Amino acid sequence: MLNAFSLSFFHHNMGQTPSSAAPGGGGAGKDGKDGGKDKKQQSKWEPPVPTRVGKKKRKGPDASNRLPAVFPSTRCKLKMLKMERIKDYLLMEEEFVANQAAQAGEDRQAADRTKVDDLRGSPMDVGSLEEIIDDDHAIVSSGHGPEYYVGIMSFVDKDLLEPGCTVLLHHRTHAIVGVLADDADPMVSMMKVDKAPTESYADIGGLEKQIQEIKESVELPLTHPELYEEMGVNPPKGVILYGVPGTGKTLLAKAVANQTSATFLRIVGSELIQKYLGDGPKLVRELFRVAEENAPSIVFIDEIDAIGTKRYDSTSGGEREIQRTMLELLNQLDGFDNRGDVKVIMATNRIETLDPALIRPGRIDRKIEFLLPNAVEKRHILKLLTSRMTLADDVDLEELVAMKDDCSGADLKAIVSEAGMLALRERRMRVTSADFTAARERVMDGKKDDGPAGLYL
Amino acid sequence: MSGPNENGEDYRLTSEIAVTSKDPESKDDKDKPKNGDPMKKGKGDEKDIPEISEEDMQLQAELEMLVERLRESDSKLYMPALEQLRTLIRTSTSSMTSVPKPLKFLRPHYEELGTILEGWNKDLKSERSLLASILSVLAMTYSDTGKRDTLNYRLGSSSTEDPGLWGHEYVRHLAAELGEEWNSYYAALVEAPAEKGANGEHKPAKKQYSEEELKGLGLELVAFFLKHNGEADAVDLLLELECIEELAGKVDEKSYDRVCRYMVQCVPLLVPPDDRSFLETAAEIYAKHDRYSEALALAVQMNDRTLIRKYFDAPTNPVMKKQLAYFLARSLTPLSWVHTEEGMEKEGDGPCPQQPEDILACLGSVKLSSHFRAFGKAVGVENPKVPDDIYKQHLEPARTTAAVTSANANLASTFVNAFVNAGFGNDKLMIGATEGNSWIYKNKNEGMKSATASIGMSMLWDSEAGIDHIDKYSYSSEEHIKAGALLAMGILHSSIRTDPDVAFALLEEHVDSKSTELKVAAINGIAIAYAGSQRRDILEKLLPHVADETNSMEVAAMAALGLGFVFVGSGDGEIASAVLQTLMEREPAQLESEWTVFMGLALGLIFLSTQDASDATIETLRAIDHPMAETAVCLVDVCSYAGTGNVLKIQDMLHICGEHADSQKKVAKEPEAAAAPAPETSEDNMMNPRAPTSNDAAPAPEAAAPGATGAAAEGEADAPAAEEEEEEAEEGEPKPLRHQAVATLGIALIAMGEDIGSEMALRQFQHLMTYGDQPIRASVPLALALLSASNPQLAILDTLSKYSHDSDLQVAQNAILAMGIVGAGTNNARLAQMLRALSSYYHKEAETLFMVRIAQGLVHMGKGTIGLNPFYHDRQVMHRPAVAGLLAVLVSFTDSKSFVLGKHHWMLYWLVTAMYPQFLITLDEEIEEKAVTVRVGQAVNTVGLAGTRHGISGFQTHQTPVRIGTGERAELGTNEFFPYQTVLENFVILRKNEAYSAED
Repeated sequence: MLNAFSLSFFHHNMGQTPSSAAPGGGGAGKDGKDGGKDKKQQSKWEPPVPTRVGKKKRKGPDASNRLPAVFPSTRCKLKMLKMERIKDYLLMEEEFVANQAAQAGEDRQAADRTKVDDLRGSPMDVGSLEEIIDDDHAIVSSGHGPEYYVGIMSFVDKDLLEPGCTVLLHHRTHAIVGVLADDADPMVSMMKVDKAPTESYADIGGLEKQIQEIKESVELPLTHPELYEEMGVNPPKGVILYGVPGTGKTLLAKAVANQTSATFLRIVGSELIQKYLGDGPKLVRELFRVAEENAPSIVFIDEIDAIGTKRYDSTSGGEREIQRTMLELLNQLDGFDNRGDVKVIMATNRIETLDPALIRPGRIDRKIEFLLPNAVEKRHILKLLTSRMTLADDVDLEELVAMKDDCSGADLKAIVSEAGMLALRERRMRVTSADFTAARERVMDGKKDDGPAGLYL
Repeated sequence: MSGPNENGEDYRLTSEIAVTSKDPESKDDKDKPKNGDPMKKGKGDEKDIPEISEEDMQLQAELEMLVERLRESDSKLYMPALEQLRTLIRTSTSSMTSVPKPLKFLRPHYEELGTILEGWNKDLKSERSLLASILSVLAMTYSDTGKRDTLNYRLGSSSTEDPGLWGHEYVRHLAAELGEEWNSYYAALVEAPAEKGANGEHKPAKKQYSEEELKGLGLELVAFFLKHNGEADAVDLLLELECIEELAGKVDEKSYDRVCRYMVQCVPLLVPPDDRSFLETAAEIYAKHDRYSEALALAVQMNDRTLIRKYFDAPTNPVMKKQLAYFLARSLTPLSWVHTEEGMEKEGDGPCPQQPEDILACLGSVKLSSHFRAFGKAVGVENPKVPDDIYKQHLEPARTTAAVTSANANLASTFVNAFVNAGFGNDKLMIGATEGNSWIYKNKNEGMKSATASIGMSMLWDSEAGIDHIDKYSYSSEEHIKAGALLAMGILHSSIRTDPDVAFALLEEHVDSKSTELKVAAINGIAIAYAGSQRRDILEKLLPHVADETNSMEVAAMAALGLGFVFVGSGDGEIASAVLQTLMEREPAQLESEWTVFMGLALGLIFLSTQDASDATIETLRAIDHPMAETAVCLVDVCSYAGTGNVLKIQDMLHICGEHADSQKKVAKEPEAAAAPAPETSEDNMMNPRAPTSNDAAPAPEAAAPGATGAAAEGEADAPAAEEEEEEAEEGEPKPLRHQAVATLGIALIAMGEDIGSEMALRQFQHLMTYGDQPIRASVPLALALLSASNPQLAILDTLSKYSHDSDLQVAQNAILAMGIVGAGTNNARLAQMLRALSSYYHKEAETLFMVRIAQGLVHMGKGTIGLNPFYHDRQVMHRPAVAGLLAVLVSFTDSKSFVLGKHHWMLYWLVTAMYPQFLITLDEEIEEKAVTVRVGQAVNTVGLAGTRHGISGFQTHQTPVRIGTGERAELGTNEFFPYQTVLENFVILRKNEAYSAED
């Protein structure tokens, strides 16, 4: 942790190129009296270099390190030439810096680094910055106990300092010796999908149209933005997947996560409902901030109807809080700030209850409906489901395909696994046609028993 | 399989189940590999069999049937089958994410069809052609093999069908393969001569198609692209085929504008000779569509005398001619290029026509002054300002009572007054002062010279009134005042060409004056007044002074520099050789003079932006065995590539900046034999793999060539340098490497004018600031100033503000000057605030305070109406005299102690060649000012983007005349008029729209 911190600190300093020599003589000369005397020795008194404290640049890298934007973004020679020009300059820069570093000798840098490490001392305390007094003094509080008025070491990156941030303190003098980068809300980092799900597009039976639509509106804008630029249209910002239960909405999202190289964040609508006032909206903000930081990214919100229902006058505080959470979501989807390379996928099976503002074009540009599978799709699904099972010769999947009941992909899966269970019960190593028939009856019966079919649908 | 079924005893002990459950699991494992294969096959098949719907199945069957038919021997059936195939392929729709179905289903038959084609009889011409076309389309799915089959089959088919019928994707694919083929063909062509040398007659094996075949197909594709909004693709393809000239005949009314703008944007990024042919073609296209002002701008950009004349003479409309004349006046193109004066001998190839009076008036921009004053009145800044209005001392934080030596303060006020009131002719200190109370007498010695010269600045562009004012001083007994009057005379006539030619007539005699001061003033007066005019009579007048060995170095250098100004960018060999001669003949002790650097600068200016025309001069300079020669080499080198963005040159400059005075001393101390080759090889090794790749875009052989020569030149450059260093080292003390300062400036000079390069150069400067020695650090701010004159971007201001507090005073002073130049004529409030803070911060440093004052004056130059940016016409064309002026000032600041901060502060007046009002004045066809509404906003780069977009954003609507700052652009706010020049800048003549009615 510490090592990484110091490295990044050095890198930053190189980029910033402090133009004045090592600071430190600041205090003595400020009255300007010894200015004349010092001038003879060719070292003028140290000027108070204008500092900008606490201007945290959230967006992108430091302005001085940023590369120029390249226009046009359509694929053409002009763009290539411009990119090559940038590359040439970067190569020259690399060569120059490497040369200079070789001439100056690495040891000097290493010496500097150890020097700084010495100054920083070890062990260090962790405190939080309460207030910045002037360029090199601040008030800090350590986790327990009193607040101190302490100095800020000159090598601390002032740009990162802002009231409320966590700072490293010298163990004896409590001077600020470093800044700890604040991490995002742990809740949000939980949402990051680190391990891609195993389901891929190949595991989806049918849904060809839906796959194509989601690819066009979510993946393609992230990988080939220039195609949209060329056409002069804005790529869709998000899609909503809707349809009766068990038709593969979440499965498709999983396949997207499996396929994409973009950061995939997933959250369930109900997770956004928090115990304390304001926590829900905050979580939404954090979610989108993390998404933006890790852009390009895809945010998947499952069961959006948990927070996205139509607004109505409500006296319950809880209800209102949920509505406020949704309002924050509305703002994040298409608010004042441009979200950049963040695509949103939502899934619900009750699209008609959603607030119209949530799914208006501009927020959600594409609505992808998931219908119950038709015969061909059913066959395909069954084939996928049974591809890892040993089937008896008498099993004819066509029978299942041909059955009249409305059944979703999930129902089919239930039938197949039920059949498997039946076979397992009898310790058979293959699933027979009879198993399937029994399973089908069980599943479909259960479905009907649950009440009027319309309710379930 | 798993033994007896225990179907009876359902509910056994669970433990038993647990035991037995292991069995099936292991079975499962065993099954997996077995099952795995079929499963995979299933996945592979699922593209073919299981996934497909009824329709697809049908389609597949049909396709297979058709292929089957081709296999059969009945040649009568071929044609219908092929046509059927063609329809199927063409009518299929595809999505962005998948391959069209017919192509997918035909994929397995691709190889087979190829053999079928070969097997067919030659007589089946049309059948063969059609099959080849189909194969060409199919080959798209086999593009990764590198065989370029799409192209092969297409050319093999010799079909005359429009390739566009097969869809856009096909055309794009074909274009890509065409480019590749051409490159490899070209590479083979270049290898061939080498082979020929080795083993006699040997044809390149790779060549498959003739040049004509490839080009013919290319042109077909270009026509398709142009028809379908693929301007960029068309230009790219022609660039690859190296026949961009063909474009002129292809574009039509609709596409030409987009094509040309795209081409012009590409120019700074291309390697010669492509850039030149791009410009020529674009100019030709513009001229063809009656956009002569754009064509002329491109001709001026090329600095091509014949083209300028061609496009100037082209229009028959006298009003258009006036518009062009205004443009030439802005660019200070030599008058003799388009006009022959009465009685003058005919110059050059064809005799220039004599231009009528009214066009001459435009060409000389004689009314610039009155227009400018009217503009000042319109924007409400006609009232004079005194320096205190600018300093705003009451706003300075922590006011101090300690006054600086008043001489210095007065001198600063002189300059501030001159810059702020420039061109208005009504300032209070000089012109408006009561008799005998003139500010001149508040200055001492050289100060009087600068003060007198400031009259010229105040009366800028107003020849007649200016001469009246100056005249009385030119008879003064005080030599300084007299010299100042001469200089004022020159300043007065900057950017205008009056008829009768007053300035030269008045200054001529003083060039031969005995007094050095008068001489230098007269020479500089001429230099400023006639910058860029390339007049032979000036050459004859000044050249003897360069050559005369009895002259002091100061006079010789100034005469040379004067010629550099007048012949800027001309590549004139006569002057170059004269200057070289002087440099070679002078004693080393004389070359030691601080003025020698201007000799080098003069050479550089003559070759400004001429690229490799200066090679001979550089080689000659290298032969001079003096440290000053190094600086001169560097100057000429960077000047000749000014504004080109040449990366190899920037790399050279970075190498120069990478040296360190003290480390070289160490190297030299080592045994000679070891010292010399060692650093070189290491550097070569390091550089070669990393050599910039921009040339890769060009055909391969070219890519190799410049890289190699660049490296070779490098080696040559290093060798003599190393020797000299050793000599120096023997003398003991390491000298600061002065040419590094020039190299630093050079990076900016080369990179400027191209956005990507200038932004990336900023990064280089940061590194130079970190690692560089003192001369480099001191000139980095100057380089920044050059890079963004009159263009105060926040990032640069921040950087400069940081440097202005540097502990090295020279760095700080230069940074302050740079702040002035960067903000010149912008009235930038933030900058003014920074400078006020600096003035109280440096209140005890007389020299630095002087610089702060100058910078304040620059920021408010012309009260915010006059800018210094050397690029005009939508920041596209470089103004050579302006670069000359800016560069001269900046070079003098690399040694500011000897010049501006010493006795020669008048050098600041060199800036005047870069000063030009930032206005847009609209004129009617009678050349009278005409107020119309225009929208002025931030310029947006719309090149290569889809649709018809606005070129400006965040605009405001104004009435002309209006100020247009750097990075801004204007559009007409009404369609009552059409402009004669689409770039709304400077003077624009309007034509009334006959069809206009106020209601619409």
